[in-house]
Amino acid sequence: MAIALGAILGALSRYFLSAWVAQWGSQWAGPDLPLSTLLVNLTGCFGMGLLATLFGQRVLGHAPELQLMLTTGFLGSYTTFSSYELDLAGLADRRNLLADGLYWGASTLLGFGSLLLGVWVARAIAPPVTLD
Amino acid sequence: MSAGSDSLPLTVLLISLGAVLGAWSRYYVTRFCTQRFGLDFPIGTLLVNLSGSLLMGVAAGLFRIRFALPNLDHLFMVGFFGSYTTFSTYALDVHYLFRRRAIAPALCFWLGCPLVGFLCVELGIAIALWLTTGISF
Repeated sequence: MAIALGAILGALSRYFLSAWVAQWGSQWAGPDLPLSTLLVNLTGCFGMGLLATLFGQRVLGHAPELQLMLTTGFLGSYTTFSSYELDLAGLADRRNLLADGLYWGASTLLGFGSLLLGVWVARAIAPPVTLD
Repeated sequence: MSAGSDSLPLTVLLISLGAVLGAWSRYYVTRFCTQRFGLDFPIGTLLVNLSGSLLMGVAAGLFRIRFALPNLDHLFMVGFFGSYTTFSTYALDVHYLFRRRAIAPALCFWLGCPLVGFLCVELGIAIALWLTTGISF
C-alpha cells in the first residue's frame, strides 16, 4: 500500500513535470534534447542519494513503511529508465548522434553525480555515527 | 509526450493504475532476485530495466509509431513501464558497487546498462513494427 501511494504520486509528478518542461523548455533548448526525462532522473537521483543515506543512518528513525513509500514507491516511480532509453532511440532515429551521445553521457555521469551530491548533503546534515 | 487525451481525470487515473502495478512488479521482481541471487550484483534492477526497456519499445512501436493511442500510451508507457523501470535505484546500485570496491562490476553496470537498454528499446520497436506489418485502421 505504501509503495502504491508513492508510485502514484511519483508517476503523476513525472507526467506533469514533463508536460510543463515540454511547454516551456523547448522555447530555449529546442525540441531535440529530451530535457524533461533528464530533469526527472537527475532530481530523482539526488533525492535517492539523500534519502537512502538518511534512512541508512536511521536519522529518520526506523520506519520501513515510510522508506518504502518514499524510495521504492515515489522515487522509483518518479525516475524512469525506459523513457530515457526511448528518448535515446528517438534521437538515433533522427540521426542526431551528437545529441544521442551527449544525452547518454549526461544522464549516466550526472545521474551518478547527483546521487553522490545527495549522499554528501545527507552526510553534511547528519554525519555518520559509525563507519559502514 | 503525447497530446490529445480524452480528459484529464481519465489520464490521471490511467497513469496512476499503471504506476501502481509497475511499482509493485518492480518491488517483487527485485525482491525475488535478491532472495535468489543475493546482494553481490544488482540483478533485479538490471532485469527490470532491461525487460522494461524492451517492452517500452514494443509499446512505443504500437501506441506511438504505428497507431496513435494516447490512453494506452498513458496506461502502459507513462504509467506502467515508466514506474516499473527506475533510474534512481540504478544510480544507487552503482554507488553501492563502488563503495564495496567492486570496480569492474560497477563500471560494467554503470556504463553498460544504458547501452544494452538502448538495444532493448530498438529491438522492441522492431518487434512491434514487424508484428503489425500490413495492419491499419
